Amino acid sequence: MSDMERILIIEDDPETAAAIRAEAEALGCQTDHRDTLPSGIEAATTVKYNVIVLDRMLPGGDGVDAMANIRAGGSTALILILSALGRAANRVEGLEKGADDYLPKPFEPEELRARLRALLRRGTIQVLDNDLLAFGDVEIRLKARTVHVKRNHVPTSPKEFELITYFARNAGQVVTRMQLLENVWNLHFDPGTNVVDVHVGRLRRKLEEAGATAIQTARGEGYIFAPLPA
Amino acid sequence: MTTPRPFAAKATLRLAAAMALAVTLLSLAAMALQYRLVETRLMQAQKTLLSADLDGLAALYDQRRIIALRQAIDYRATAATGDEMLLLMDRNGQPLAGTRKDWPASLAPSGDTFTPDNATTFTEGQTRWLAVARTLPGGFPLLVARSLAPVDATLAALRRGMLGLLAALLVAGALVGWLAAHSVMTKINRLNTLADRVADGALDARLPGPRSPDEFGLLETHVHAMLDRIENLNRATHRLSDTIAHELRTPLNRMLQKLSKIEGQPDLTAELKSEMRQAIRMFDSLLDISRAEADQGTGGGLVPVDLSSVAAEVWDLYDPLLEDKGLQIEAHITPGLHILGDRNLIAQVLSNLLDNAIKYCGAGDRLTLTLTPEDDRILMRLSDTGPGLPEDIKPEAFDRFTRAERDRATPGHGHGLALVRAIAARHGARLTLPTTEKGFALEIRWPKLQQSD
Repeated sequence: MSDMERILIIEDDPETAAAIRAEAEALGCQTDHRDTLPSGIEAATTVKYNVIVLDRMLPGGDGVDAMANIRAGGSTALILILSALGRAANRVEGLEKGADDYLPKPFEPEELRARLRALLRRGTIQVLDNDLLAFGDVEIRLKARTVHVKRNHVPTSPKEFELITYFARNAGQVVTRMQLLENVWNLHFDPGTNVVDVHVGRLRRKLEEAGATAIQTARGEGYIFAPLPA
Repeated sequence: MTTPRPFAAKATLRLAAAMALAVTLLSLAAMALQYRLVETRLMQAQKTLLSADLDGLAALYDQRRIIALRQAIDYRATAATGDEMLLLMDRNGQPLAGTRKDWPASLAPSGDTFTPDNATTFTEGQTRWLAVARTLPGGFPLLVARSLAPVDATLAALRRGMLGLLAALLVAGALVGWLAAHSVMTKINRLNTLADRVADGALDARLPGPRSPDEFGLLETHVHAMLDRIENLNRATHRLSDTIAHELRTPLNRMLQKLSKIEGQPDLTAELKSEMRQAIRMFDSLLDISRAEADQGTGGGLVPVDLSSVAAEVWDLYDPLLEDKGLQIEAHITPGLHILGDRNLIAQVLSNLLDNAIKYCGAGDRLTLTLTPEDDRILMRLSDTGPGLPEDIKPEAFDRFTRAERDRATPGHGHGLALVRAIAARHGARLTLPTTEKGFALEIRWPKLQQSD
């Protein structure tokens, strides 16, 4: 890759930082690490990064409060907050103050990788106001809110349509259950049951009955939307 | 919240009433003394007048006996003012001279001297008289009397004045008492309202405005100092729980990451991960409960939320799971009902309740969710025809770590309903467990959002 994507990690715990670095490098990114808030802000405003992974309780202050400084410094990086302050209220606060994603600690490496990938993708896809999303046999029309497989209409409920749209926007990437719950249902809590699985299972069955094996389970991680050309 | 306190000023009123009564009694005693004094003085004056009359008549009698007496009485009778009564009679009871013809029936003559000793009073018509009745030597009855009407009139005027004064004293006492009670109650009520707000959970509530430089101001200062201390302790607890969360998550985080590096035993790592996730979840729900309880009544962080749409969304989220379980489900959600709340917490409540239904109900059981407006509340009712709560755990069903003996085999940690209660309290909602024929029913009455339009 000629122009490597750069990720800045602002995190005071060296082991966590190393884990984040490992995930980021697995995605083929170049990483920088800062362990205090002031040095992190300085780095964020001098180098152009694609994604910044930001901790909250840092030496020098709260990462959430620093987001304004980072933005004021001219950074256009997408910000993922990774924090032990992980309750719904904390998460909503972080997102409302301008974070692009919020992952509570302790996190699972697969979850972090999935979210980083989603953010990196979002940074590269410029326009997606194209009405039609087509993946081999699967066609999604956003305005008409319809799904077709092999030219046949597949009836979907409103939530199923949102689900397949979210999958399609992240096609080829692992999306986790928590990402689905946050983005499709706008719920920031962990129900602790397999509610999401049931919805995905139904959607998957509908697509399979229509002849498209579009959604695969990524074991222990989540799902991948990758329609295989027939 | 101001609750009416109808008998609250009783103590102050009693004190004011006692003071007013004491003042009135003292003035009453003083007035009685004065009254007695005036009465004695006036009677004395009438007696002096009577005794002067008698002295005059005695001098005449000494000179020319009955004749002179009769002439003098005749003379006096023609110029009578009505303030005196004179009567001289002969042996046979015929009047010789006087202001009247007959002898007053209630009076018996006694003695034969012209001294004012043993003067008696008698009443005739409306008037009292001070009289001396004698039988002069030879059997001539003589009556000399002075009207007590001026005395009585003066005393009556005095009595009226005193009664008026007494009434004025009582009215003034009552007024002062009421004013005192009112001003005390206004000051005490400020503190009571504050205490109510604090009891409702608003630990940061304080009394605005300057404090009066008296005992009430001192009390307010003390109450404020106490509340500051409680609030600081509360804040310290919050900080502590956040810090614990942070400090505990870091090692858990490392463990999870190291687990991912273990290769070759995927089943064991998956199991370990699931156990750790379970531990984290229990830890999180405990923190959620404490946080919701601590935030109770503060109203901070709550925004207008469409309860109907949240309920519908969570219902929609669980719908396939409930169907797969074989439950007969029904939802009656009145659209457009708004409350002041936290969307995620409300969703968490419903999610916990639906999780329970899935856990405990069997195929074929009925599960019903209704959301309907009441007067100033919104009633959310979830009921099922499952096994219900065992009687013995009903009283502590909403406590942490409460699980029924029969459910030991079902996974869970007994925080579901505790979190439901904490979140309901956070929203000022009332939680009840109505008795049902069969199964479990729970009602939450959320306070309706007061719309400004």
